[in-house]
Amino acid sequence: MSLSQHERAPLVTDAIPPTLRRRGANQRQVFAVCLLGALVLAFFASRDTPSWAEQLGDSAFDHRIRDIAGAWDSAMETLGLTDPHEALRAAMHRALDWQWRASSD
Amino acid sequence: MLFPTLDFLLFFLVVAAALTVLDRRFAQKKAMLVVASYYFYAQWDWRFCFLLGGSTAISYVAGLLIGNSADSRRRRLVLTIGATLHLVILGIFKYLDFLIGSANHLARMLGLQHELPFFEVLLPVGISFFTFHGISYITDVYRGDVRVCRAPLDMALYMSFFPQLVAGPIVRAAYFLPQLARPSDEPIPVAAALLLILGGMVKKMIIANYLATGLVDPVFAAPDNYGGPDLLFATYAYAVQIYCDFSAYTDIAIALAALCGFRFPRNFNQPYRSLRLREFWQRWHISLSTWLRDYLYKPLGGNRYGKLNTYRNLMITMLLGGIWHGAAWKFVMWGALHGGGLAVERMNESWLGRRPASVAGAVASWLIVFHFVCFAWIFFRAEDFTVASVFVTGLGSGWTEPVQQAQPAMIALILIGFAGQFLPPGSFERAGLALQRVPYWGLGIAAGLVVAAINALGPEGIAPFIYFRF
Repeated sequence: MSLSQHERAPLVTDAIPPTLRRRGANQRQVFAVCLLGALVLAFFASRDTPSWAEQLGDSAFDHRIRDIAGAWDSAMETLGLTDPHEALRAAMHRALDWQWRASSD
Repeated sequence: MLFPTLDFLLFFLVVAAALTVLDRRFAQKKAMLVVASYYFYAQWDWRFCFLLGGSTAISYVAGLLIGNSADSRRRRLVLTIGATLHLVILGIFKYLDFLIGSANHLARMLGLQHELPFFEVLLPVGISFFTFHGISYITDVYRGDVRVCRAPLDMALYMSFFPQLVAGPIVRAAYFLPQLARPSDEPIPVAAALLLILGGMVKKMIIANYLATGLVDPVFAAPDNYGGPDLLFATYAYAVQIYCDFSAYTDIAIALAALCGFRFPRNFNQPYRSLRLREFWQRWHISLSTWLRDYLYKPLGGNRYGKLNTYRNLMITMLLGGIWHGAAWKFVMWGALHGGGLAVERMNESWLGRRPASVAGAVASWLIVFHFVCFAWIFFRAEDFTVASVFVTGLGSGWTEPVQQAQPAMIALILIGFAGQFLPPGSFERAGLALQRVPYWGLGIAAGLVVAAINALGPEGIAPFIYFRF
């Protein structure tokens, strides 16, 4: 649908410039990218799943999810996939704890 | 349901799967997005969905009545009633208790005993944003700037589309409704969308969250406990925090809309590099500033009726823009500062010029504008006037006291936040074009790894976005 002569589109700039909209994906590829990203996240960010599951309700299904989240995190820990998470978090804590010399004296 | 959470990821995976299945069926796709948007909104409070539905119905019916009438008086009457209904809903939920509190305060000052009871209404998330959508739609139909929307589904999606529902950007009907008329044949810019999501997550989860908990919140909670350096860096930190927080939300919203096959307008454009206050408002929350310009400043007369009227209109527009952010006098003060600043700038434009003529002038201009904006942020962030005045007074003292909160990591985060303001133009395009060369499976894996890294680097738990409360 195009705007008639009496209709004026507001003078706004598209957030994603035309140069980046010439090439792209279809909806199926978008889903594949999201799914792949989520899978990688499941492997490398399992540390946060138990705390996420704790926020769920109190139904039998929620308890089951909680058990699965805990088991998944333990499995990833066994495989060593939680190590990058731990290393990055420890590095960030060290950076945050760093103090000016004058104030620590 | 906040964007950078596992709940939202699961929600979006379901939406993306449904979009894949419904790819060629545009009407069903829109219906699914409406259902998903109402589900998304119901996660805050399911009762708010009725409010959103009511606001949509008002806009839809008012649009039809305006569009079907040739009588200009009738059209104007419908516009007035429609806009008033929207504003009454907003007023009840957002400003009623503020007005009652102010009336009670005035009554106490006058020595009156009787006090009005508070209603204590729960503020629906995003009410300001969908109210603005509704008002802009019926106004645009009245002005003839947009075709009447006769499809209830399109109107429902325009008002409720989940990426922009709770904190913008404010998407105009004339911009969005034509996208709902027929399916887009454009490819989906996945690389640009991922870049916006990942950049937004860094800004929100690392920069904004750490600056909030490590520097801004403690210093603004008790400014009299801190010396000048902590107060100054807390001011800079808040300037960075609010930019990173809000622009992160809109970046992610833009990306999600793009992944669903829709375009959103730009909402931020490196605002802290502005050399004039007017330029700041052309770069900051662009969808709000242009909304205020088109639906408030221009109808008031804009700059058409002499200098004094222009200054008055600037002041009224910014005061109302301040109140839009919340029912509190501190937001009135913030709006007054910006309105006054814009008026003073306009008053001196003849000798200041639109742009500084020299490098020294540009540097001086940048310093003045940036620090003026930071000064106004103090009132915006402080709990109330008393805290703000203690904060401002404290900025001039205690410069020999040891630094408590403004530790190296905080300073580094402030600098990183500022660095993004001075990236050369076209940086986003170049990065997006480079990412387009990566195959889709590579993009998915890379995005998953970067999100995992951001998740590890950020603090545990996610604070809500600042603009949710507006």
